[in-house]
Amino acid sequence: MEKCKRLLVIFYVMAKIGLFTFGGGWSIIAQMQNEFADRRGWLTQEQVVDYMSLAKSFPGVMIINMSVFCGYAMGGVAGGVVAATGLSAPALAAIAAVTYCYSSLRDNLLVEKVLNGVRSVVVPIIVSACLKLEKTALKGKASWVILAVVFGICIFTGINKLLIVTAALIAGLILWKGEIPDDVS
Amino acid sequence: MTCLRLFLSFMKIGFCSFGGMTMIPVINDEVLRYGWMTPSEVMDIVAVAEMTPGSLGINCATFVGLRAAGVWGALCASLGVMMPSLTLSMAAAHFIFRLKGNKYLESAMRGVRPASLGMLAAAAVTLGLTTFLPEGRIAWNFAAIALITGVILIKGRLSIPKTILIAAVLGLILG
Repeated sequence: MEKCKRLLVIFYVMAKIGLFTFGGGWSIIAQMQNEFADRRGWLTQEQVVDYMSLAKSFPGVMIINMSVFCGYAMGGVAGGVVAATGLSAPALAAIAAVTYCYSSLRDNLLVEKVLNGVRSVVVPIIVSACLKLEKTALKGKASWVILAVVFGICIFTGINKLLIVTAALIAGLILWKGEIPDDVS
Repeated sequence: MTCLRLFLSFMKIGFCSFGGMTMIPVINDEVLRYGWMTPSEVMDIVAVAEMTPGSLGINCATFVGLRAAGVWGALCASLGVMMPSLTLSMAAAHFIFRLKGNKYLESAMRGVRPASLGMLAAAAVTLGLTTFLPEGRIAWNFAAIALITGVILIKGRLSIPKTILIAAVLGLILG
């Protein structure tokens, strides 16, 4: 019973997130962090960061991967399926609506203006996610170096994210070798 | 039959791409091959996907499926594009969950976490450049919207859906 209730909440929250995901899906990170880590405590901040890198390096749609990872962590296989379908449900309804009145929407100035406003808010949303993840992701000088290197690579090249994540994974193994200091090194 | 074809095609699209704009060329090939859409309709895909909430991949799949075979087509195509996540990512999630607390995994993740933040920050910068510097000129009205909503979101701690609604209203005024 408790589990069914949790699955329902996952579906509802993911549908809400799906309804407010614009601009390439990166803003979903901030929303999942808000809903599942800050408000409900079903995920830790570490899990959000870890799953984000994995979601980006697996094939397929990044935000669907992200919802499967988080859904699995919160409710097993059923949680993963529920999270992925919940996220996609609003898109199905919205596309159906837009397809039927596409020609009148395409040249509508008001629609264009609203979309411009929505596009402009995507960057602040991503920045807010970065600020919140800072404490979780950055522990010690070495992590600042990894951050700077990856940031530079992503800005100036189009290297596959899978390679970047694999390199960072190896770097982490070499740097910390299975010894995890609790304090900031 | 079209539904099965749509499912298989979009499954292929899912496995061959890493989301976002990288999907467009693959979608283009598949859609034209089976004659589900004309080349000019393919151009509309991106416009519609941008107009609606959700990821580009799911939106494209729904749009193409709906045009080709109605609601069932839309469902089959979306399910197809979700297949890599439901198989590969699900398996990976299981594996990671079993290894939770393992020291070596934790070390590796210590390296991956700052890398994630780097990718996220880079996404903010690249998106920011295309949004606020279109064609090399500063779009002051968009920058103003971003600044106002950014302060509301980060300092005022308003929820993201509400902030997006405010941005939409600001877009009507300033856009």
